Amino acid sequence: MKQGFRQSMAWLHTWSGLVVGWVLFAVFVTGTATYYRAEISRWMQPELHRQAAIGPEALAHAADLAVAHLEAHAGEARSWFIGLPTPERPLVELFWRTRPGTAPDHVLLDPRTGAPAAMRATKGGDLLYRFHFELHLPPLWGRWIVGICAMVMLVALVSGIVTHRRIFSDFFTLRRDKAAQRGWLDAHNVSGVLALPFHLMITYTGVVTLAIMYMPWGVTAAYKGDQFAYFAETGQITKARPAAGQPGTLAPVGPMVARALATIPEPLERLVVSNPRDANSTVVAVFEEPHGLSHEHPQVAFAGTSGTIVEVLSGGLRPAAKTFTTMVGLHEAHFAGPALRVLFFLCGLMGCAMVGSGLVLWTVARLPKAGTATGFGWRLVHTLNIGTIAGLPGGIAAYLIANRLLPADLAGRSEREVQAFFGVWILVAAAGAAANAWLAPRQAWRGALAAVAGLFAAAVLADLVLARALWDDPAWFLGFDAVLLAVAAGFALISRKVDRFRAPGRARREAAAAVGTPRMERA
Amino acid sequence: MTLLVAGGLGFLGLAALCLSLGRHHQALWPSPPTRPRVLGLRAAGWTLVALSLAAALHFDGGAFGPVHWLGSLIGAALLLVVTLSYRPRALVWMAALAVVVTFGAALA
Repeated sequence: MKQGFRQSMAWLHTWSGLVVGWVLFAVFVTGTATYYRAEISRWMQPELHRQAAIGPEALAHAADLAVAHLEAHAGEARSWFIGLPTPERPLVELFWRTRPGTAPDHVLLDPRTGAPAAMRATKGGDLLYRFHFELHLPPLWGRWIVGICAMVMLVALVSGIVTHRRIFSDFFTLRRDKAAQRGWLDAHNVSGVLALPFHLMITYTGVVTLAIMYMPWGVTAAYKGDQFAYFAETGQITKARPAAGQPGTLAPVGPMVARALATIPEPLERLVVSNPRDANSTVVAVFEEPHGLSHEHPQVAFAGTSGTIVEVLSGGLRPAAKTFTTMVGLHEAHFAGPALRVLFFLCGLMGCAMVGSGLVLWTVARLPKAGTATGFGWRLVHTLNIGTIAGLPGGIAAYLIANRLLPADLAGRSEREVQAFFGVWILVAAAGAAANAWLAPRQAWRGALAAVAGLFAAAVLADLVLARALWDDPAWFLGFDAVLLAVAAGFALISRKVDRFRAPGRARREAAAAVGTPRMERA
Repeated sequence: MTLLVAGGLGFLGLAALCLSLGRHHQALWPSPPTRPRVLGLRAAGWTLVALSLAAALHFDGGAFGPVHWLGSLIGAALLLVVTLSYRPRALVWMAALAVVVTFGAALA
């Protein structure tokens, strides 16, 4: 019975992991990169020059300029989002949405003049951040697909723990001198077991961040489906103020910013203006999270026409809401300083390694015997593996290269960068698929991984040649480039290992003994 | 700072646990470990891992302590596994370094 249970768990682990593996790999890679979302955005806008500090008067002035711009260009919008300048990112970032269902409009302003900022248009780290949970699909579709894959991932994690019979004695074992399958299994086990607390935490809290969407029934029953009423009652956002339906004039926001700064001691992050031309307009000042595990933004809500404070939210969450916000906080790790962030990043890389090695292991364990042709299923999995494991990093490198190569004033520039991301991803995947016809699997892997390494090195080269004159802090940009070079070196190293690896002992003799097997001999 | 103290203790603890296993013991010494030696290494290992948790809780409290402890322990384990499979003999001086780093960071 015991044996039967473990075997059925092994079956479950293999197939649940395979079915969602490709999506999970993409989610892990983009999620890991998102730990450095702000840094990626900064690298992709080298024109940006950081400032020492931004005083309360400068913030109030920037907010007034933002509202002036929005009144001129977005008067019909139902809500305005005003990202305020910080020393790291001294820009005013505006979003507004005129009709539901349309893409929001977006503009960057110089915080001192209110003129559009002279800066290359890019989505920066936000592309990877949104891809992490929406896969660049319509949000509802993307979030459901990622959520279902994450739930299956929990199944794969737990069944994997049950399947792994010698967790302690294999805990530190990475055998490099045995057959390929043994090595891949060790890599899969080590990357999975060492960072297991991280994998369980990140998968579970990832599902929890969108739990209200996946399991809406409680909110449906208690709040008639009004999520905002639920969030407001649990103290996570300020209460909604419905539009009066009569025109009103927004009071100057500068004094509101000053009062908000006097109320909450954290840095001010953004303003949200709802129904700006209504008599019942609302201005909400949203602050950065205070230091702590929990994801809570202190907020001050103003009546828009009079500028009086109507609500202050700062801490004081009840246990259930606090549990939720703490899980979200753990997932996002905004609390992590530089050293802890590196550790989170390494854990994320181990997650990528776990998913990637698991996918490769499926094909290595089912390598056809010498002389027999590969089946359609095997070729499909192998092709998708190359397309995902090499294709996605290649796409990210192309995204960075496009950021440096495309002219700064090109129309639709940020969309072109996204096209470069997907274009190269598809190109690598298609090349991998085509290579099946005349290359052994090992050679296809070697070529694809070497190409990715080359792309990352090219991104560094493009930065050094084309953007060096723009850097405000050369050491910082050189540091970022050094990380890109390290990524390139990592891919080059794996490519070399794949190439040089010779199955030792028995496996090699068997391969040599088999006659008339050009594919395997080349492999 | 906590990361260095907890990570150093965790590295030493995991190294002791790992050397209590025959395969890794023989990477450094010619023979498999004797029974008393296995028990001694395991006891030392678990004590050091527990100490690293205690240190993290002491420095950072109940909220951040466990997060820092797990983070540093995972980092230490990764370093240990890579060392073991590529340069097992480096473990000797790395253990000595871990002692220095732990005490240095704890006293700093």
